[in-house]
Amino acid sequence: MAGRRRGRGGGDVMESICSVLALVLILVACVELCGAATVVDVYRLIQYDLAGDPFGSRAAGLSHHAGAPPFAPGVDLSRTVAMIPVRELNLTFLQDYIASKNPLGGLLLLLPHKLGESRNEAGDGMLRSTLVDLERLLIHSNVPYPVYFAFEDEKIDTVLADVRRSDATGQPASATTGGYKMVVSSPEPKKIQSATITNIQGWLPGLKRDEDVNQLPTIAIVASYDTFGAAPALSVGSDSNGSGVVALLEVARLFSRLYSSPRTRGRYNLLFGLTSGGPYNYNGTLKWLRSFDQRLRESIDYAICLNSIGSWNDELWMHVSKPPENSYIKQVFESLSDVAVELGVKVGIKHKKINISNPRVAWEHEQFSRLRVTAVTLSELPQAPELLESTGGLYDTRNAVDETAIQKGVKLVAESLARHIYGRQGKNVQIFSDNSSLAVSPSYINAWVDLLSRTPRVAPFLSKTDPLVTALKKELSEHTVEVNLQHDVLDGMFTFYDSSKASLSIYQVASVAFDLLLLLAVGSYLILLFSFLVIATRGLDDLLNIFRRPPPRKMKTA
Amino acid sequence: MTVFHFFNCAILTFGPHAVYYSATPLSEYDTIGTSVKAAVVYLGTALVKLICLATFLKLPENDSFDPYQESLKALIGFIDVAGLYFALTQLTHRNISQNHKFQAVGLDEDECINVRSDLAFFSIGFFMGWAFADSVLHRLAPLWVGARGLEFTWEYILQGLEANANLVLNLSLAALGSLMWLRKNKPRTLVPLIYACAGILATMPSITSYLRHGLGWLLPKVIAFELFSSFVMAFISWQLFSACQRPSA
Repeated sequence: MAGRRRGRGGGDVMESICSVLALVLILVACVELCGAATVVDVYRLIQYDLAGDPFGSRAAGLSHHAGAPPFAPGVDLSRTVAMIPVRELNLTFLQDYIASKNPLGGLLLLLPHKLGESRNEAGDGMLRSTLVDLERLLIHSNVPYPVYFAFEDEKIDTVLADVRRSDATGQPASATTGGYKMVVSSPEPKKIQSATITNIQGWLPGLKRDEDVNQLPTIAIVASYDTFGAAPALSVGSDSNGSGVVALLEVARLFSRLYSSPRTRGRYNLLFGLTSGGPYNYNGTLKWLRSFDQRLRESIDYAICLNSIGSWNDELWMHVSKPPENSYIKQVFESLSDVAVELGVKVGIKHKKINISNPRVAWEHEQFSRLRVTAVTLSELPQAPELLESTGGLYDTRNAVDETAIQKGVKLVAESLARHIYGRQGKNVQIFSDNSSLAVSPSYINAWVDLLSRTPRVAPFLSKTDPLVTALKKELSEHTVEVNLQHDVLDGMFTFYDSSKASLSIYQVASVAFDLLLLLAVGSYLILLFSFLVIATRGLDDLLNIFRRPPPRKMKTA
Repeated sequence: MTVFHFFNCAILTFGPHAVYYSATPLSEYDTIGTSVKAAVVYLGTALVKLICLATFLKLPENDSFDPYQESLKALIGFIDVAGLYFALTQLTHRNISQNHKFQAVGLDEDECINVRSDLAFFSIGFFMGWAFADSVLHRLAPLWVGARGLEFTWEYILQGLEANANLVLNLSLAALGSLMWLRKNKPRTLVPLIYACAGILATMPSITSYLRHGLGWLLPKVIAFELFSSFVMAFISWQLFSACQRPSA
């Protein structure tokens, strides 16, 4: 067709060729997207720099053959993607492998289908500790190859079984033997420029009487809502610190009902703060507190920080940085433990001094204490976590959270606050008793735990207008007034890289040997066909003639 | 590597066309021009067919075999035959008469046969072009799109085999068609047989479609059937062709 058109004019031909080329390119582009046998969602290990030092997975693009453990010692794995189910993970092997800086094509870690939905408790606990160890290992090492997490499903299981079978026959997959090829076409991860953190705050103003000269005192309830985990796209942090956020929202809801009527409005302002940057030494809390003016800061009577209160049984810890003998601390502790006794749970007190020269801030209240504001943290964790730990790891999903624990926590906090506000200390009055109009709402708590357990919230990957931020702001403005957002920049010690989520295409590929064999077969078929046709239509002599003297024959035809 | 696979499949699909062309006496009659014309006619026919299909056929919701739809499809398939008839009677005649204008006066018996076999070869050459255009249109794009992907499937190799079977079927149909329309003095006893075979060949796509969707045969089985039937039909039409070709007839 192109030949026929050439007569009409060069421009037309060029144009048509260009359009055809464009069409072909589009088709080819489509193929790359949908040609694979299996496409699965994979979640990349976090990549970040801490004070200039590289950590995490330093690459994203992947195109290698699949292999499964156990690997023979000394085998070259630099062109193999190791598929390892976390259930069967040999952590010391991985540790040694990373430590000895051996090359590896890539690492694909398979998480159980539904984390935490294990049949037996023991297996569950094992899995949990494996995941925690794995996360600690991966987050704190510099891995030069791509590391991805995927969930086990039927497709992946089939591939894994096939890979194991071919490995068992003694032929590890490579370009010459066929097998499966895993491809993630992802650009080089880029630095996230100026990671923002967003703090959300809301007020419940107290009732100011005419005779009050001074400003009303303020009680702050604070929870950090962002997370950090090995896989940023999986870091939902249901317990740390989704549970704290939910409890804060429920407390806000309960007090908004009390504060809606002037007769029950207390003489304390309540300040609710959802802070970001929690995993990074509570950077957001620091920024938030610094944005307050001096008078406001001084008006804060005390602050209660909620951290990981979603999976405790009967003992909660109150962490403080001032000595427990301090009168303010004593008062808060007593009001909490009074209520705790009535609820049949225990509240312990843990004192940890602040070392000003140490940049590590283990608890949120320490940021308050550094600015000389009385503050405590309520948590189920007995010890202060290390940096980037207990901040919403792989295991910390919906199943790790017990809603009744959150309900108990809410009741504990709300009740003790109410007694403090209305001056009912030591008296056995239940303000938020069950079956009253002020009862803690399990459905509200469940709904929010469910939502937060579906939403990864690693601060650098949340934009200023992220749906979650908007949702939290909207929810807080339902219950409180003067809700506003504070945007700030995460301090420079951390640098994050993007592409936390990708699609892994798994192709079943044929080996080079097979293609050669096929070429041979097709070639011999064509030669046989040719010979057969020549003999059948012209006779054997003609066939022989072709080989004998080709040039004269051509002359004859011409 | 995958380009290698594409190359293999392409040879398997399109190689036989070249082999049939160069190995048989077709090449000596310079049938390239005819083939190109055939390809053009094929494109026209395909367009008409597509329009008909789009107008009269519903989009199948599932992969089941619906007799009414299938018969309609087969009927539309006969547009092919109409196109062929048009091309064979119009184009080829003109072609022949142009090439042999000066010979046409006062032919003796021998030359007549020559012209006749010319005619046959022209028609077969025509069908080569027809089948090639069919193959290119139906298979090149899927091949280009699919076989270059990383994923390995047997599908494109099977498709290549199917293309071979189709080529043989098309050539048989061409031979029979040239017998039906271009040859006047064929043995009377063979005429019904020729028509029957041509009918079978023309309905072949419907038969395979029935096997695949109606009986739920798998692709390898269907293609084995196609290959087998194409061999049988090729053998029969060859016998018929050579029976008619004999000067005594």
